[in-house]
Amino acid sequence: MYQHDGEEIFVIDAHVHLWDATTENIDHDGGEEFIQCFYDYHTTFTPEEREWSIEEYRKYGPDRMVEDLFGNAAADMAIFQPTYLSDFYVEGFNTTEQNAELATEYPERFVLNGSFDPRDGDEGLEYLEDLHETYDIPGVKLYTAEWRGESKGWRLDDEEAFRYLEKCAELGIENIHAHKGPTIRPLNRDAFDVADVDDAASSFPELNFVVEHVGLPRLDDFCWIAAQENNVYGGLAVAAPFAQNRPGKFSEIMSELLWWLGEDRILFGSDYALWNPDWLVEEVLEAELTQEHRMEYGVEWDIETKQKVMGENAAELYDIDIEEKRRQFRDDEISREFDLGDHYASEEPAAADD
Amino acid sequence: MTGTESDGSTSEPSRTAVRDRLDRVTDPELDRSIVELEYVDRIEIDGDRVAVEFTLPTAWCSPAFAWMMAVDARDEIESLSAVEAARITLSEHMHEAEINRGVNEDLSFAEAFPDADGDVAAVRAELDEKARVARQYDAVETLLEAGLDAEAIVALRPRDLERPEADGDDAAVAVYVRDRSFAVSVPAEPIERYLEKARETDLVSGPDDVLFRTPEGEPIDADSFDLVHQRGRLAQVNMSSQGGICDGLREAREGRLEEPADD
Repeated sequence: MYQHDGEEIFVIDAHVHLWDATTENIDHDGGEEFIQCFYDYHTTFTPEEREWSIEEYRKYGPDRMVEDLFGNAAADMAIFQPTYLSDFYVEGFNTTEQNAELATEYPERFVLNGSFDPRDGDEGLEYLEDLHETYDIPGVKLYTAEWRGESKGWRLDDEEAFRYLEKCAELGIENIHAHKGPTIRPLNRDAFDVADVDDAASSFPELNFVVEHVGLPRLDDFCWIAAQENNVYGGLAVAAPFAQNRPGKFSEIMSELLWWLGEDRILFGSDYALWNPDWLVEEVLEAELTQEHRMEYGVEWDIETKQKVMGENAAELYDIDIEEKRRQFRDDEISREFDLGDHYASEEPAAADD
Repeated sequence: MTGTESDGSTSEPSRTAVRDRLDRVTDPELDRSIVELEYVDRIEIDGDRVAVEFTLPTAWCSPAFAWMMAVDARDEIESLSAVEAARITLSEHMHEAEINRGVNEDLSFAEAFPDADGDVAAVRAELDEKARVARQYDAVETLLEAGLDAEAIVALRPRDLERPEADGDDAAVAVYVRDRSFAVSVPAEPIERYLEKARETDLVSGPDDVLFRTPEGEPIDADSFDLVHQRGRLAQVNMSSQGGICDGLREAREGRLEEPADD
């Protein structure tokens, strides 16, 4: 639990991965290019003294992950977002099954999402049902730009994708996280177009669509869609680390998001291990909107907004009872391991209305 | 080697003329000049032949974007009458071989990249449209600062703009409003930058076309003026955020290439 300006902030890191990009697991040049590109993002936005070496970055393993996420209580919970990339990596880059290793060990701390790929046809639908059956996944992370044989991607408004979304609605898999972000070589640009979210979101009002990376560099298209579809949310992964080395730009992006989406539809995510929450959460919480942007947009990055963006909005989507969690975390395995009991000790949270 | 003084017997292009042409080439995603962005590494002039070398922020910068910049640089330079041929070399890009060969052998994008799904025209049109919207924001801001209101601005047409003959960098444009009942003078640059993209995107071609449009290309209702203007601001934020990522990646890559890889 993060203490900020005398208030407690329950942080749900809504975008984390446990990946394996070791050379033995790479099956295609794209796999090596993918991790190298991630690493450039990592070094671009990470404070120099907190940077990892490329070797650690390829595979960090579950113990390190738990420590990085929870060791200093920067994050209280985390949501796994798998990225299969099965044409690039022998065992996949970051699959539901790999993530499940930790998620089942610490079920109170992790939320485990699954994934689907409509190009898998009926077999894929069965796989989705299996994931639901085995892990009771509350959401999916989708990579519309993933290569699969000759295909360089798919769209959320494809007829075939709609079959999968119908299945999600039927099974109660409510949270659809679509990666719509920076062009990551070697993925196709067009498949990161956000326009397909529009039709999907209006066709499935019972589902929530979280556009990861707030569509950067298609922030304008994303905000325009989100302004019209109230079941569209923005995930801050990639936008968040601007707080560290481009504070003016962070202020501007946050101002736009708060203006177009409002404070209830923005979710924090570190994108671990692209970036570590142990420094990123602090950077984001300490960030300020410039006076100029506050005047121009009429929005605030104040304590209530921070509480929502950093945890409450994700809690709402994932039916997480924050008060219940606080009680549970006074003495769960992770609090004991890292001696965090005190973080959750206070009887009542500071009143949220002052 | 480099642009030496012409002896008069040949009409060698001046370095300034070449640079000015390159300055018109923009990074299509950022809508900023490749000269200003410092992508251009070298210009060599040898008689009527010009060679240009450039580098992008990352090796995996979109091949489509890299292609557009290379082709535009070639076409801009070859539009100078003193230039017979331009040779463009993109360095340190994962697709430099395909791009350099394609651009210098006058191939189409689809010929240069047999794996691609098609040509780059649609991507270029989309980026031009975003650039137009972002430039509209600056043009409209200029008019708002000059005291024009929403109603007057949405009604403007090219015929309402008058550029005095005396040209210069700090030139002004006279904007006539209310059926030419009066005019205000505003800085020319943002208006002209907007017009350039509005023409490129075929939204404004004749003197009677509505000057400012929604991102979808429609005329603007005075009622939705504020919202459309806010969308222009958003387009700018989008571009400059991507610029921030590009700058960061360039620095990261330079750092990686400079440091010995011993850790």
